[in-house]
Amino acid sequence: MSYTRDKKITLIVYFLFYYALFASFYLDDRLLSQYQPIFFTHNRDLTELILIATGLPRWMMAHPWTFTAADTLAFGLPAALLAYALRKGRFSPVLGIAFGLFLSGYLLLADLFWQVHHEPFVLYLLLALAWMTNREERFYQVLKGCRYYFLYIFTSAALWKIARGAVFNGQEMSRILLFHHSDLLSGPCDSFARRTYRYLVDHPGLSYGLYLGGAALEGCFVVGFFTRRWDRVLIGLTVVFVVADLLLMRIPYWTILLGTITLWLGSGPVLSGSSLPFRRPLPPREKKIIIYETTHHENLPALLDLSEAHFSEVAVFLKELSYHNLSGYGSPERRWPRTDFFVQPEDCSNRRFISQLFAFLKRHRYSHLHLSTLDNNLLVFVFRLTGAGTVHLSLTVHEVNEYFTFSFRSLRDWSESIAKFFLHRQIRHYTLFLPAMVDRFRQKLPEATAVFIPSRFYPGQHPSGPAQSPFIIVIPGSVEPNRRNYNEVIQTLTLFLSRNNPPVELVILGDSRTEAGAAIIASLQALECGRLRLRHFKGYIPETVYEQELAGAHLIWSPLNLHKIGSRNNPETYGLTTASGLTADLLLNDIPALVPEGFVIPEPFRAAVLPYGSPETALEIIERLIRDPAGYQAIRGNIRQAFAWFSKENFMDAFMELTNSDPPRNQP
Amino acid sequence: MIGFFIIQVLFDLGHSVTALPFVHYGMFSESFASPDSLAVFEVTVNGRLLDAHDFSIDHWDMIQNPLGAFDRQTRSRDFAFDKERLQSGLHFIGAGSLYSLLAPNLDNTPAVAERFPGWYKTYLSRLIRQPIHALRVDKAWYRYDRVHFILLKKDPWINL
Repeated sequence: MSYTRDKKITLIVYFLFYYALFASFYLDDRLLSQYQPIFFTHNRDLTELILIATGLPRWMMAHPWTFTAADTLAFGLPAALLAYALRKGRFSPVLGIAFGLFLSGYLLLADLFWQVHHEPFVLYLLLALAWMTNREERFYQVLKGCRYYFLYIFTSAALWKIARGAVFNGQEMSRILLFHHSDLLSGPCDSFARRTYRYLVDHPGLSYGLYLGGAALEGCFVVGFFTRRWDRVLIGLTVVFVVADLLLMRIPYWTILLGTITLWLGSGPVLSGSSLPFRRPLPPREKKIIIYETTHHENLPALLDLSEAHFSEVAVFLKELSYHNLSGYGSPERRWPRTDFFVQPEDCSNRRFISQLFAFLKRHRYSHLHLSTLDNNLLVFVFRLTGAGTVHLSLTVHEVNEYFTFSFRSLRDWSESIAKFFLHRQIRHYTLFLPAMVDRFRQKLPEATAVFIPSRFYPGQHPSGPAQSPFIIVIPGSVEPNRRNYNEVIQTLTLFLSRNNPPVELVILGDSRTEAGAAIIASLQALECGRLRLRHFKGYIPETVYEQELAGAHLIWSPLNLHKIGSRNNPETYGLTTASGLTADLLLNDIPALVPEGFVIPEPFRAAVLPYGSPETALEIIERLIRDPAGYQAIRGNIRQAFAWFSKENFMDAFMELTNSDPPRNQP
Repeated sequence: MIGFFIIQVLFDLGHSVTALPFVHYGMFSESFASPDSLAVFEVTVNGRLLDAHDFSIDHWDMIQNPLGAFDRQTRSRDFAFDKERLQSGLHFIGAGSLYSLLAPNLDNTPAVAERFPGWYKTYLSRLIRQPIHALRVDKAWYRYDRVHFILLKKDPWINL
């Protein structure tokens, strides 16, 4: 719907300007057939030089009827294009290309023959690209490109004034006026305009102030490269510029106003903080959210639950692997029926997928974009977010230190550091997996909004309880010595086996294909005996299997190295600056977890956490759980009670803060 | 799109040349020195000096533009410098023979100088919507002394 509307508006506005332009040519005797040139000029334009070299200008002058033909086409060709578009509801690419080429040729000829300056008309050529395609995505790409070009016109004009030193010349405007209006000023008439120009020429300070104001106005357009928030203001500045140019310089630059269409379409409502008198409220956009995820699918469930409760439409762009492992029970569509899933096929590059996401976002006018994981292509996202308009942005930060570290050791470091500089300014709303991470984040970026939302909510019901025996201990997570201390596990189990304990089963629930992983498994296998059965996995574990194994456990063991090296070699601390997958795993069931002492974890999780300081204390805990079934069941009861706090309702406020939303209507 | 902007920036940095659609937006950005004199084309039709105030901006441009363009064409010997640059450029890239092929298309017809006054009179008559019995165009140079425009020199140019 918005595409159809935008296309129609662009078409109407474009051709209104186009025909107004050619009508003004006609009224001022500037059409080629009216001008009937007898010579051409060289204007140091390579395209014009090529046209001259073809011999066309000479041939046209020798055959004046061709000027009439050119003017007829100037009026007739767009009429045919318009008629086709209105009758068929789509564009004819052939007519679109013919029109674009013709208009380029006409403008070149006009400059050769009567020195039409091209500057205000380049946008007419660029916007004409929109008539060459019927693809929505390309249409919006053309609009976006033209918007950047429009901003470039003003920004580069300001930069030139600075770079060439004009803004530092106090006599600049006085001399420009004297030079530019010499024919007017030297003439016999003593009109108001002439007296005004004379006054400005004679008062360089005043005219210089106007010049600086003009340069500052042009410079304001640079803001458009970073945000669409001020597009309406820029439209106003364009009008001011055109009026000032007309009054002060006698340059009728009205034709450039066509470019404001690129600022108008898709620029969204002006923020409530604006005090502009011409602010016009737009009808509120539907609240629709897109969530982007790469591989950390285990963190999506809570966001999806909350998004479905808050937004009229939810779309998730994620990798194929994440999609297939998003839910351990049932398909994602069944679990989140109001969510559209867009899966990145294996043969689709990340950048292409990201590009598709932003095209989708713009096309369907989504109001919110949440980046659930941002671990690659940071600079690509910066560029894309820059052009994403007034979309509300939010991000899940997985590693706090990493997000605030600037490193310049490699090209990737450089690009990510530059990207992070901009991301800190572009994104003002964040979610983290632990309250301690939120506190740490707020210290680093106090002006941003940071909230704690867990990976998932506690379901309250469990598919099946663990078998009575043997006692099953599950160690979830990839088998990496950097993340987990498996020596403590080996020492504890050695002690366990040295005493008269019942049999246990140890499940290493993570990929152990690596060399280090294989060595750890070999060490554990060396302990295997009648009272210790070991199971382990190689390769990616499907979510269904993963969740089944966890559900069958009596005890989860997370032998974390509290201080780890993050994804980009920055030191991170579990519980403080990064979260372990344990917090997501715990919420699947009511199973206690053995964790090293010092692991910072918030209150509701604590019911499930059994801290240990050494292999000996770990052994004591395990033995107690095995020998005291009643005590064990009491622990699980406490966990159920405590975890009931992890409900969707309890995180509504945090989510509303994250998405800058009002409470849903059905909420008290 | 990125490619387009890269080329645009390169042309912008080059500054001395454009190639539609890659143009500059650096007008009025050079630091203006105080002009020694100001050149003006004074057009007198049927004995009355035309004044910018009596015409719309675009109309006045169309009165002045042909004079400026023709003046430039004449003074530059039909843009000889630009053509020489093109010739040396083509020669530099090993396409010198291409220039001799294109050269006839690059020149205006020699009759332009002779035809221009008559052509301008006809066009101007159409532009100002009145028959022209007498046309005179002078090229005048003025100096501004902060009070008056002082005529330094006036060269008669067209007199029909």
